[in-house]
Amino acid sequence: MGAFLVRKAAVTEWIRSLAREQPLFFPQPVGRSGFRFQPLREGSEVRFDHYRPSVVPPGRQLTPAGEVLFRYRTGEGGVPGFESVLDASPRILAGVRPCDLRGIYLMDRVNREGRDDPHYLTRRANTAIIACDCLAPCDDFCFCETVGSLRWREGADLFLTSVDGDFLVEALTPLGESLLPGTGFARCEDVAGLRARAEEVRVRPFGRHFALSPERIAAILPGLWRSPVWENCGQRCLSCGSCNLVCPTCYCFDIQDDFDISDPSSGDRRRNWDGCLLPNFAEVAGGHNFRPQPSARQRHRVKRKFEYLVGRLAEGSFCVGCGRCGRQCTVGIDIFDIVSELVAVAEPPP
Amino acid sequence: MKPKVAFFDFAGCEGCQLTILDCEDLFLDLLERVDIVEFREALSETAPRFDVAFIEGSIHREEDAERLREIRSRSTLLVTLGACAGLGNVQARSNFLSPATNFRRVYGEEELNRVQADPEFWPLWAHTRVRSVKEVVPVDYELRGCPVVAEEFLHLVKSLVVGTVPHVPTVAVCVECKMQENECVFDRGETCLGQITYGGCKAVCIGHGYRCDGCRGLLPQANLEAHRQLLRDKGLDESRILERYRLFGSAEAWGRERRP
Repeated sequence: MGAFLVRKAAVTEWIRSLAREQPLFFPQPVGRSGFRFQPLREGSEVRFDHYRPSVVPPGRQLTPAGEVLFRYRTGEGGVPGFESVLDASPRILAGVRPCDLRGIYLMDRVNREGRDDPHYLTRRANTAIIACDCLAPCDDFCFCETVGSLRWREGADLFLTSVDGDFLVEALTPLGESLLPGTGFARCEDVAGLRARAEEVRVRPFGRHFALSPERIAAILPGLWRSPVWENCGQRCLSCGSCNLVCPTCYCFDIQDDFDISDPSSGDRRRNWDGCLLPNFAEVAGGHNFRPQPSARQRHRVKRKFEYLVGRLAEGSFCVGCGRCGRQCTVGIDIFDIVSELVAVAEPPP
Repeated sequence: MKPKVAFFDFAGCEGCQLTILDCEDLFLDLLERVDIVEFREALSETAPRFDVAFIEGSIHREEDAERLREIRSRSTLLVTLGACAGLGNVQARSNFLSPATNFRRVYGEEELNRVQADPEFWPLWAHTRVRSVKEVVPVDYELRGCPVVAEEFLHLVKSLVVGTVPHVPTVAVCVECKMQENECVFDRGETCLGQITYGGCKAVCIGHGYRCDGCRGLLPQANLEAHRQLLRDKGLDESRILERYRLFGSAEAWGRERRP
């Protein structure tokens, strides 16, 4: 695969030209400090170097809220017919950070575990990802390095690294290579040298760090079921579900059927985002709720990210360290702080 | 036979009924499925019995309560439309004032002195208390918001027509904000009631640059204590906090307590 050293202005022009050919989602400012992945239009700003993580992660483009899974129609003799709805339109996600890239990698695994999810995988197969390295933490909430996301590259088709004001553009897949312009990008021979140069200027240590490795955290969590930490954050929790909905590795959904008012024998089935911090999430038929208290729901979230799915679906940690949940929580509940407190209790520093 | 549906209005702006009439195209499809037998905004007929009665507006006088009870006795299901019928809305704040104080604030001292001597008028005013519909009769479903959301109305009617359980959102407005990818109101340096308020509104107010004032009502599981502390931390004093809670929720637990 090719690697190129390209001037920033030329990269911007190339991204703009890609956006003229197919929908290209790029993080754009919303309000005072938010960002949103939305289709790049003529005149929108293209800036790789500085943005806070978007309100919701780019991976959510692959499972849009309220997506229609299939349409149904009751035909002759009451026999129902189904028509699956798959979205195979090509698109590009550009400006994806390594933490979000790892989030998409984990979602790829989730949607291939057991039975394939055709809705996700069809969108994913038609999505090209242009990722971009981080040389400085986006803000104080970041903890991507400690959970192994900072140097993540898998899943990207093209990978951009800022080197002394230019971009090292690496094609990682044939799809990525096909997106490069025919001419104009100067081939780069010394990729290792340029990567080392970027590594040299990267902030160290990068973001916040746990006192223990993700593997050790997964090992101590089973013994902390009754920790007072859960009750402490449960008392502050507003159960608004924001932490789930902004998480790159939360994928729970709710299913609803709807029929056409003009013809009640036909309709569709949709799925909507759901989250385990929402009070009725674990309520079952008959009205029993397995996790009625916010503290139990907080514990469940932390254990999903750092214990339950580790080994089964993720190496190290199912949390990618993007910091969105802590950043979006209005009462300041931060999963990094929760885990750090648990670690301090289980293995106090000498 | 098509289900018979009726609409009734009490004290309110009738904006909820207009929101429903605004569905236009879908409304015509809806008419294929139901018979509308009473609807002051749209027709002049009446009927002895109905399957669903939609109630808009809050209940103020005892004669209003009587009329509501009578409607309830004629209908299989009763559904409230919007914040007036559901919560008492902003007008319920007058319950915290004596009728005389309230009247003086609106019409002045001179007018108060005149009507207080009027035996035809004053007893009516003096015994007015703003109530939500559920304070007077049992309610089967509540359509929330100021005004209601047309899609939620259609969904409820469709569900009732075919006999399925309607999906009623019981999550906070924050869920809607995340689905719309809105910047959080708190990140703009303002405060919001979205975390403790029923969603289902697609967070329209926040999407248009405003905040959530809680028109859809307080979530049953709301952590009011933590929310109140959050507003204090953001610099609101107790009376400002109560004002915010009382705007739409004065008839509910969050607004009912005495001003400090």
